[in-house]
Amino acid sequence: MTMTSNFTNTPSNPNPAPSRRTVLRAVMYTAAAVPFGLPLAACATGGGDQGEESASPTGSADATNPFGMAADTTVDAVIFDGGYGVDYVEFAGKVLAGLHAGSSVKVSPSTQIATELQPRFVGGNPPDLVDNSGAQSIGFNTILDQLEDLTDIIDAPNVEGTVIRDTLYEGVLAPGTYGDKFAALNYVLTVYGVWYSGSLFEKNGWTPPATWEEAKALGAEAKSAGKYLFLWGTEAATYYQTLAIESAIKQGGDEVRLALENLEPDCWSNDSVQATFAIMKEIIDLGYFKPGGSGTQFTAAQAQWSNKEEALLYPSGSWIENEMKDQTAPDFQMKGVPSFSVTASPAMPATALHSTAGEPFIVPSQAKSVAGGKELLRVMLSKESATNFSKTKLAPTIVKDIVPADGFGSTALVSQTEMLSAAGTDIFTFNFVNTYGMNQEQLPIWNSFLDGKKSVADLTKELQAITDRIANDDTIEKIEVS
Amino acid sequence: MTAIPGRALPASEDALAGPGSGPRKRRIGKASFDSVSFFVVFLGLPLALFLIFVIWPFVQAAFYAMTDWSGFSAEFNFVGLSNFSALLTDPRFINAVGNSVMFGIFIPLVTIAIALTFAILITVGGSARGQIRGVRGSGFYRVVSLFPYVIPAIAVGIMWRLILDPSNGLVNGVLTALGLDRFESFAWLGNVSTAMPVTMLVVVWGFVGFYMLLFIAAIKGVPSEIYEAARIDGAGRMRTSWSITLPLIRDNVQTAYIYLGITALDLFVYVQALNPQGGPDNSTLVMSQQLFRTAFTEGKFGYASAMGVAMAIVTLVFAALVFTVNRLTGGTSERGRR
Repeated sequence: MTMTSNFTNTPSNPNPAPSRRTVLRAVMYTAAAVPFGLPLAACATGGGDQGEESASPTGSADATNPFGMAADTTVDAVIFDGGYGVDYVEFAGKVLAGLHAGSSVKVSPSTQIATELQPRFVGGNPPDLVDNSGAQSIGFNTILDQLEDLTDIIDAPNVEGTVIRDTLYEGVLAPGTYGDKFAALNYVLTVYGVWYSGSLFEKNGWTPPATWEEAKALGAEAKSAGKYLFLWGTEAATYYQTLAIESAIKQGGDEVRLALENLEPDCWSNDSVQATFAIMKEIIDLGYFKPGGSGTQFTAAQAQWSNKEEALLYPSGSWIENEMKDQTAPDFQMKGVPSFSVTASPAMPATALHSTAGEPFIVPSQAKSVAGGKELLRVMLSKESATNFSKTKLAPTIVKDIVPADGFGSTALVSQTEMLSAAGTDIFTFNFVNTYGMNQEQLPIWNSFLDGKKSVADLTKELQAITDRIANDDTIEKIEVS
Repeated sequence: MTAIPGRALPASEDALAGPGSGPRKRRIGKASFDSVSFFVVFLGLPLALFLIFVIWPFVQAAFYAMTDWSGFSAEFNFVGLSNFSALLTDPRFINAVGNSVMFGIFIPLVTIAIALTFAILITVGGSARGQIRGVRGSGFYRVVSLFPYVIPAIAVGIMWRLILDPSNGLVNGVLTALGLDRFESFAWLGNVSTAMPVTMLVVVWGFVGFYMLLFIAAIKGVPSEIYEAARIDGAGRMRTSWSITLPLIRDNVQTAYIYLGITALDLFVYVQALNPQGGPDNSTLVMSQQLFRTAFTEGKFGYASAMGVAMAIVTLVFAALVFTVNRLTGGTSERGRR
């Protein structure tokens, strides 16, 4: 803008034609004038209206409408369109519309939660309910103070009239609790384990391993049958990190878990972690991993396990059955076992299980209808909606006593229920990888390790470097785990 | 001053101004409908669009680069230049800059070398007798070589990822069929030594056709008499290419180099399709990928904006370097053209 002042002092051009100079000058004038005419709201952060929260319309609250959702509300729900799709929320939306005549639910599927909702959070008009999941989810430490505490949902009666808290599995609220705020309701119960084909194992007389030594022995048998023990895909190499951490926690107990969770120095050098890495490295060096995983797209790799049966075992969460539904060999009979123990005498029993609730649903405080978002969650936690989910997705929700003994015909679902009941109270989970968004950085390291190009020492050093960098970065808010 | 004497505005200007405009006096700044509408349509509109959609976001990015804005709330604090000083010691960003620079050096070099060779073959590389012409079937090659450019970048990336798949890909299928057993399940995109060259190859494959076409157009602009004269003087095809073609289309090569360099310094779509997690040991992680990750998965928009500013600076430095090198080696970009 200061540039123009130089130009206004130039003498008039005697030539009236739009010569280069007059054109240039006009450019300058226009350049100077346009920004003033711009509304300030064009600024990316200019739209946030802090007063909107109080404007959230509410109706009167009672047992059938505990949050006082206003009449004729259209609940705006943005749902991650991943392994579970969005139709289970649409189902709950129809139930909600049936309960509250006039109200309805608008479900918008999205695979890019963070990029799509970022402007809406800044602009102060976020949706009423968000399934903040998937690779592009919003980091919880960035939006925590903009979320509703959902404890009142847990204390409300469900559609059938029972208090919701009494209908849930133990410990399912923990993963959504940040400090003292219950900010995210994780809807789906995920069981982590090692998955295999029941029919293939039966045909060959194999038994699924319970320790890493047994796994190594099985690897030799797989090799003689022209198969591999494990395989992996490049975007999912850290599934083996999850498996390793599970084994280490089972071996060393809670102290291993807490050291990793709280980003302690040398947490990756813990004996239990090292013992797990060492036996994994042994198996890698024996050639029991299918080579080329670091260049294979992960669902293509998973199909080599579930469809072509080139490898015997695959470590994953229980979403794997639904994810590979269309690419699983007929009569595969997917079953799971808990992650392996390192030695025969671990700190936790062999049945101990990594299980946690996933698919975090959040209700932004600035949403137009906070009550509507909560009401939709309440409906989703009803017996009808939860049964619909388990039946169509073949996965358990956090609502207990939903899955019948035949697991709706799914061997994997039966196997999950069995693992859960066998584990009893020995259920653990860990969150540090997701809390601090480490996965992206850990992937290349694990790809190289599984490829046989890294020693255990390299692996340890590089994983520790990531942990240390985050631990020492004061701009990252730490969440103390106990 | 490029105004040509004697080409002042037609007399109609005064006529348009209508009666009452007083004695015939030349005035500047008197707004006639003609000049106002001209300015509005050809200056005001494009300039406003440019300012709103290009310059204003630049200014905003530069501003946010000096804040700790998380990107998901309307609140932020001003932190001065600390984001930039953090960038200088961020090993992840430095690695990304290094990778981007490697792409920025090699992709333009290889693309232009291949494109230029093909362009020369197609335009003047034909028979040494008779009229100056390209190799036989040049029209066919010209059309075919443009095909890759027509495919969207993301499709190119996904297609090559399938071609390079270790177990079921075309490349390893052909290589193992030829008896090269060590390529069975070889992960081209999963090895530090091959991931970057292979990524470069895919990008070059996508761009060669277009730049070949650009050079063909440039070579067609060179009068064929010059080639005929050179041929009479006994210059062979190599000699003609080096001493006649190249100097005469030098400006086009420079422009192509800068465009390609800017593409190579960004490259987001290709690397995201080929190696979304950054490649083995982050060997193909580029600045734009690291920026996206910082903004959306780590929730640090302020810091990411600083990366954006740094990226713009790297790109400008690159363009300046190309200009300087061209000038120092005797280029003609600033002198005597006009």
